[in-house]
Amino acid sequence: MLETFGALASGFAVALQPMNLLWGFIGVTVGTAVGVLPGVGPALTVAMLLPLTAHLDPTGALIMFAGIYYGAMFGGSTSTILLNTPGESASIATALEGNRMAKRGRAGPALATAAIGSFVAGTIATVLLTLLAPLVVALALKFGPAEYFALMVFAFTTVASVLGSSTTRGLASLFLGLLFGLVGIDGQTGAARFTFGVPELLDGIDVVVMAVGLFAVGEALYMAAYTSRLPETMEKLSGSLMMSREDWKRSWPAWLRATFIGFPFGTIPAGGAEIPTFLSYSVEKKLSKHPEDFGNGAIEGVAGPEAANNASATGVLVPLLTLGIPTSATAAILLGAFQNYGIQPGPLLFESQTDLVWGLIASLYVGNVLLLILNLPLVGMWVKVLAIPRPMLYGGILVFATLGAYSLHQSWVDLVILYVFGLLGFAMKRWDIPVAPAVIGLILGPLAETQFRRALSISQGDASVFVTQPISATFLAVTALLVIVPWVVRRRRAARA
Amino acid sequence: MRASRAEIALSLGVLALGAGAAWVTARLPGEGGYAGIGPNFIPAVVSGGLVASGAWLLWEALSGGWRNRGQPEQGTEHAFNAAAFGWISAGLFAHMALIGWAGFVLAGAVLFTCVARGFDSRRPVRDAAIGLALSLAIFAFFVKLLNVNLPAGWLKPLLGAAGI
Repeated sequence: MLETFGALASGFAVALQPMNLLWGFIGVTVGTAVGVLPGVGPALTVAMLLPLTAHLDPTGALIMFAGIYYGAMFGGSTSTILLNTPGESASIATALEGNRMAKRGRAGPALATAAIGSFVAGTIATVLLTLLAPLVVALALKFGPAEYFALMVFAFTTVASVLGSSTTRGLASLFLGLLFGLVGIDGQTGAARFTFGVPELLDGIDVVVMAVGLFAVGEALYMAAYTSRLPETMEKLSGSLMMSREDWKRSWPAWLRATFIGFPFGTIPAGGAEIPTFLSYSVEKKLSKHPEDFGNGAIEGVAGPEAANNASATGVLVPLLTLGIPTSATAAILLGAFQNYGIQPGPLLFESQTDLVWGLIASLYVGNVLLLILNLPLVGMWVKVLAIPRPMLYGGILVFATLGAYSLHQSWVDLVILYVFGLLGFAMKRWDIPVAPAVIGLILGPLAETQFRRALSISQGDASVFVTQPISATFLAVTALLVIVPWVVRRRRAARA
Repeated sequence: MRASRAEIALSLGVLALGAGAAWVTARLPGEGGYAGIGPNFIPAVVSGGLVASGAWLLWEALSGGWRNRGQPEQGTEHAFNAAAFGWISAGLFAHMALIGWAGFVLAGAVLFTCVARGFDSRRPVRDAAIGLALSLAIFAFFVKLLNVNLPAGWLKPLLGAAGI
């Protein structure tokens, strides 16, 4: 415990260096400015802004990324409340009450409870992260390749099959991601796989190209084809930003409850913040003394989901930093950003790069404070960003999106790959196929394969290692239960009916 | 309920991709060293998974439609607008063709104009001017400040004279 505080203190020494503070500040501001754009979620914000850090040192770049990540979350809630265009599924719960509050002229308090709730939840969640990370690291140091592989199988299964609206579509998405992950040179034998002689494919498919294709190009195609002929509506930000005494009284219990709902969901592979935000929404609806307000702009219905969203976004960093396992699409892109710097997150990172890891964690505390003091005063500016007409907005997004793909190899082939992912993203959006399993499969698939083959090399090809080692066997057993139990329950219910 | 043609087509697409992946996998080397499995093992698993999930999707599509599919809220979606889809695609294709040759700024301006047209903007000259200004600003920022290499193309003499 004492050791943790020592490490955190030295982390603050890193995060509070003027240059790193500046990168954090830029990250929070740019992240909010881009995240506030309607239809641009945190995953796309992080992916689009990756080229900005091309020439920073790893610590500065990651601190900037933490700022972008948090800023994007905050920006997303602003556009959700004022425009009712949730940029990602985790914001849908906020849209339910937040947009209705805005329609009734209470946009100010809705934005305020979202911002302060995000700060409260983000800070408590960062404390939990600080306390939990060393414990997970201590456990993870005992993991060998077999344990890692079993853990990744567990992550794939939960992300793809257990938690989405359809197991079938989740699995199809996961296998698509795994297939794209296989493209390129096999790290262990040097064999080229699925490259079809195209030199640009030898390094594999970049997670940024995939994410930008799915989220930016796919979204633009979808929005143009299915919504561009609808009128735009935006709620005005009128009246005071201040929350009344009543608003405070109704908000703070929701923030706290939501923090403890959101954080645990972030740490397990639950595919992002969708489930905890809805869970928090229904908990608040049940516990509220004013259930009649729900559906007409209840402030608890904004406070809870927003806090849950932020707490879960911080929780996601626990498996990402300590195990190297991304549990949401945004985390998968963050992992890609780490890999660009030759950093593989995991327990060893806590030993070999103490300054970097703890500097990053300390910068999360700093980022939360920066967001709080920056955002409420600047909310008028973010509202102006929101007013950009759709044709200009998507034109700008695509100019930026293509830049990231093109600058990888200076080749138009990457732009073709980007368009192919755009078509895929269009289809996935229109026909309700989840995107997160594909993004996670792309980046985690190659790591899982490496661990699998390493485990088999150690055991001389004996596949029983995965079930004879206790930790690995436990992960696989839990995975099997997660698949079998819901299936049996459904069969029984169907049989009874 | 009538089977959705889009669902059937997408299911067949997944199935076909799995079959194609299996065909490629069959041509990958299989020698595995100590592990006993080669670089073709996981591709085989993934191909199998794609074929299986494609077949499962197809069965769902033919037996009452994909399960639990989220439907868009009333009034948030209009009928498919092929022209809008076409303009966005055309912009991206033009951008691919132009970027290495005419340069980042001009390709970006064309892309911007086409995308704006896809979103029903009827003022192409204004859009082109905004697109040009935006691409120029991004170009200057990335090339000058971040040292990212972007093609200047036809505007090279002009940009060079301006010190970018």
